[in-house]
Amino acid sequence: MTGALDVTPQELGLLITVKTAEQEGVETVGAHLAMVCAARVVQVDPIAGSHNRKAVVETGRYGRRTVVCGAPNCRAGIVTAYIPAGCVLDGRTIEKAVIAGVESDGMLASGAELGLNRDAAGILELDVEECKPDSIIEIDNKSLTHRPDLWGHHGMAREVAAILERPLRDPVDLSVLPQGPGSIAVSIADFDLCPRYSALTLENVTVAPSPLWLQYRLTSVGLNPINNIVDVTNYVMAEIGQPMHAFDAATLAGETIHVRRAAAGEKMQGLDEQHYTLDEQALVIADANGPVAIAGVIGGLSTGVTQTTQRIVLESANFQAASIRKTSSRLKLRTDASMRFEKSLDPRNTRRGLARALVLLEQVSPGIRVVGGVSEATRELSAPAPIELRLDWLRRKLGCDVAGEKVRGILHALEFQVEETAPEVFRVTPPSWRATKDISIKDDLAEEVGRMMGYSSIEPRAPLAPVVPPPVNPERAFLQKVREVCTGQGFTEVYNYSFVNPQQAGELALAAEDHVRVLNPISSDQGLLRTSLLPGIVKNIRDNSRHLENFRLFEIGFEIHKQAEGLPTEALHLAAAVYSKAGDGVAGLMEAKRLAECLLYGAGVRQTEARPYEHTVRAYAVLYRDEVVGRVSELHPKLVSAGRAAVLYLDLERVREVSIVEGTGSAAGRGSAGGVGASIAAATGASAGTSTAAWVGEKYKPLPRYPSSSFDLSVIAGERVTVAEVEQRMTSLAGEFLQGIEFVRQYVGAPLAEGQKSLSFRVTVCSMDRTLSAEEIASVRARIIGGLEQAGFELRI
Amino acid sequence: MTDQVLEALQTSALARIQASASLADLEAVRVEVLGRKGTLAGISKEMGKLAPEEKARIGKLLNTAKQSLEQALERRTAQFEDAALDSRLASEWLDLTVPAPGIRPGSLHPVTLVQKEIEDLFVSMGFAVLSGPEVETEYNNFDALNIPQDHPARDMQDTFWLEGGNLLRTHTSPVQVRGMHRLGPPLRMIAPGRVFRNEEVDPSHEHTFYQLEGMMVDREVSVAHLIYFMKTLLKGIFKRDVAVRLRPGYFPFVEPGFELDIHCLLCDGAGCPVCKQSGWLELLPCGLVHPSVLRMGGIDPEEWNGFAFGLGLTRLAMMRYAIDDIRLLQGGDLRFLSQFGKASN
Ligand SMILES: [Zn+2]
Repeated sequence: MTGALDVTPQELGLLITVKTAEQEGVETVGAHLAMVCAARVVQVDPIAGSHNRKAVVETGRYGRRTVVCGAPNCRAGIVTAYIPAGCVLDGRTIEKAVIAGVESDGMLASGAELGLNRDAAGILELDVEECKPDSIIEIDNKSLTHRPDLWGHHGMAREVAAILERPLRDPVDLSVLPQGPGSIAVSIADFDLCPRYSALTLENVTVAPSPLWLQYRLTSVGLNPINNIVDVTNYVMAEIGQPMHAFDAATLAGETIHVRRAAAGEKMQGLDEQHYTLDEQALVIADANGPVAIAGVIGGLSTGVTQTTQRIVLESANFQAASIRKTSSRLKLRTDASMRFEKSLDPRNTRRGLARALVLLEQVSPGIRVVGGVSEATRELSAPAPIELRLDWLRRKLGCDVAGEKVRGILHALEFQVEETAPEVFRVTPPSWRATKDISIKDDLAEEVGRMMGYSSIEPRAPLAPVVPPPVNPERAFLQKVREVCTGQGFTEVYNYSFVNPQQAGELALAAEDHVRVLNPISSDQGLLRTSLLPGIVKNIRDNSRHLENFRLFEIGFEIHKQAEGLPTEALHLAAAVYSKAGDGVAGLMEAKRLAECLLYGAGVRQTEARPYEHTVRAYAVLYRDEVVGRVSELHPKLVSAGRAAVLYLDLERVREVSIVEGTGSAAGRGSAGGVGASIAAATGASAGTSTAAWVGEKYKPLPRYPSSSFDLSVIAGERVTVAEVEQRMTSLAGEFLQGIEFVRQYVGAPLAEGQKSLSFRVTVCSMDRTLSAEEIASVRARIIGGLEQAGFELRI
Repeated sequence: MTDQVLEALQTSALARIQASASLADLEAVRVEVLGRKGTLAGISKEMGKLAPEEKARIGKLLNTAKQSLEQALERRTAQFEDAALDSRLASEWLDLTVPAPGIRPGSLHPVTLVQKEIEDLFVSMGFAVLSGPEVETEYNNFDALNIPQDHPARDMQDTFWLEGGNLLRTHTSPVQVRGMHRLGPPLRMIAPGRVFRNEEVDPSHEHTFYQLEGMMVDREVSVAHLIYFMKTLLKGIFKRDVAVRLRPGYFPFVEPGFELDIHCLLCDGAGCPVCKQSGWLELLPCGLVHPSVLRMGGIDPEEWNGFAFGLGLTRLAMMRYAIDDIRLLQGGDLRFLSQFGKASN
């Protein structure tokens, strides 16, 4: 970016976001360059006992200064870069300092320190003043997957020109290309895979570092400067979105460049020095001896440009997106070139790339000469198909009244051709760089006009839709009922993953081969799709029994069953579990049965043969309207070793079928009113509220990560003292470690005096950042007791 | 002479009634004075000796005394009964703050709560609630949604592939196609459900999460309608007007496609760490249904138009309850899950 536009980089970034593609931030580069200046080294003296030397420099702008410098190339006579004290470099302020006993006022800098290039070997030896501060607008490249034209600065400049209604300058002049036959032949085996291949041969090449301005520009967009030839190919790619490659012509065998599929097992070493073995899917560029580049992905090492190169073949080609994408993903190699090719580049851009590169090469490699004309093989490039755009349709689509002239203006600015074939009817031809896949139908044009007008300029309008009640969804009503009944009966909802592992399945006597297998699981213990909710429920029971003595939980989810062909069947099930650490398990089974009764009016149970994961004599079928719809059982002690867990497992599909056969519609409901009201009130209570603050307000309590401890306290209180009152007092006394206070029981009678009762509480404490020591727990207890006694309570200890 | 006796008797009896301390005391007074063998009965017996004139006069006096004593007794009895009731009621004082015996209600999963809230909102606006399978065909998940083979959009979604060539759906969008076939135009539908992406799990990434897909198809559906609808929807969700911004976004199944941003709920657009200082939160991808998708749903795009959108239910639940670790949602820890959807706690 340059300062030529009359908007700030921040404003421009925002405009690009709302009209073109998401920008991720604006970064100022080279701000420090404003303070940096050139300096001539006047005198260099060694410092005794140090590898550093004392240099006196004439800076012009800051006068004569003395600095300490360790660079090997620091010598009298060179012009380098001087950074004064006070300048901020990468967040670090340069300060006057005494180094090796000599006061250093500022510093001499390398190209890397200045952010101009990656050269840190010594201080800069050049004129730095051609590099100016600038701004970089970062674009989220995920928002550009459909816009091959925006993978180069010129494409983005076109958008900016259209947004700001300013003229666009094209950096490319095709007339510089030489006429006549090329000096090397090009042969394309399959024009579907490579629609066009253009090349130019140049001689009298001097390979050297690029001038600083070029290095600076590449560095600031994240490309590594390498040498003047390679840098020009990268610059053209960044500028006009055309990936290019330079071969050392002397290393190419034969007189023809072949574009063909690789032979199976063919090998090539890439510029990244990796060895690649190719298959027939890959497209290669080959000379008489074999592959010299993996098309659109990476060039070969042996044919690349080196310090001694004198003659080059410059490649500017177009490849099929799908083919490049496949090859790049198979080789696990994504390069700047492959990322662009897989977006479907414009084949017309290949010659533009050569023309632009030629002009730049003449600047950076003086004396370079073209040999012959452009070598090229191409299939006939079809002209983009025109699209008929009726303005009344466009207005209806956008829902706003846009003038024909405005539409024409927007499309022109984006370089679409617009012809009015009839009143209010445009014939619109997209430019070639938008026609590769982005723009093909009138709806695509609606987007172009809409985004450039600005969606914020479209007045929202209420849709006209018939007022009809939505189709009823009995399943939804049924599931809501099931959830209400479950919570009313004290069960809390859990969600478990759809994945299980063979061991989990095995514990429940489910054969691994009956499960649908995930081909690319996140980890080996998530390789199967669940055929039962029970593995998840068993895990929930084990996990929660570490913290809780009693609990109830449920899940509604799909069993996924493999079919011989087609999609697996998905069957909705309910699993509900009651766990109790103490007791003989009878109460839990009763509760599970009661839940079934609450869900299914008239349901009953019948003793049935236990499955391997069930208590041998405590397994029961759940009968609903004489059909088996599920089971209630106690889990076998080998699954749940501490405590007892009763499980209700219902096939909700079966329940629904049975209900529908009987013609009663919703299956659940009758006889299940208990507890439902409370839970509905709770759910809607949470959603009430008129401000967003209330909407986001319910922050959950973070879970303790360290063990909690409990102790019991019995408080002797007067007849009319309430549990809540005592609990509040205890809460306010307990302090920060309090996790909860649970009322246990009350007791009246001997040896308590008449009019007295004893209230027992269990106090649980823990800390969020450590395990509490016995002393800390005791001190909480003492504080509560002390406070209560002070308030006139007596404690039964 | 009888007059004086009678008066003295009445006075003393009234005093005793007044002074009685219990129903038993009262009963003793009643038996002694008004009983069949009581004092008044005795006086009455002696009246036979009197002259007829005198007899009538004394009889009247006797009756008056009897009535007045009976009334006094009745009043006093009522007083005793009231006091007894008061004392019984007083003895029945109850501490209702003692937790009610029996089971405490359970709670619903936070995603269930948010999903229900949003489903209810859509149902009130005439939308059908549909569901689709979690295991989908490659065709339904990608091809029918205008995402062809080798389309870079398939890069954006890391898919769990299953044996048999099927996959775990990467979005709820396949239900669009199922819904179009099932309902036919015009239609309004939503499809909430579980979706999967092959992603490592960390505090902000999950391979299993919940989305809600929405679609409206009618004869006249424009960008202006879409903007209006989204604003109304967001007002319904957040219970207040929310500033929105529509910008171009690319999704193969819509054209034009948008990213809808809302003013950050925490800083209201001023900029804060949650919105990375931009003041905006990306909330809702949406757009006009691509004609190819309509065609794939058996609907003629020359006659019908539509809009579609996707809401992240997991994301909304996390915003709603300020949940900062996505893993808690599938973790099954009752200490976490029991905190939601209750009136208190
Ligand atoms: Zn914010």
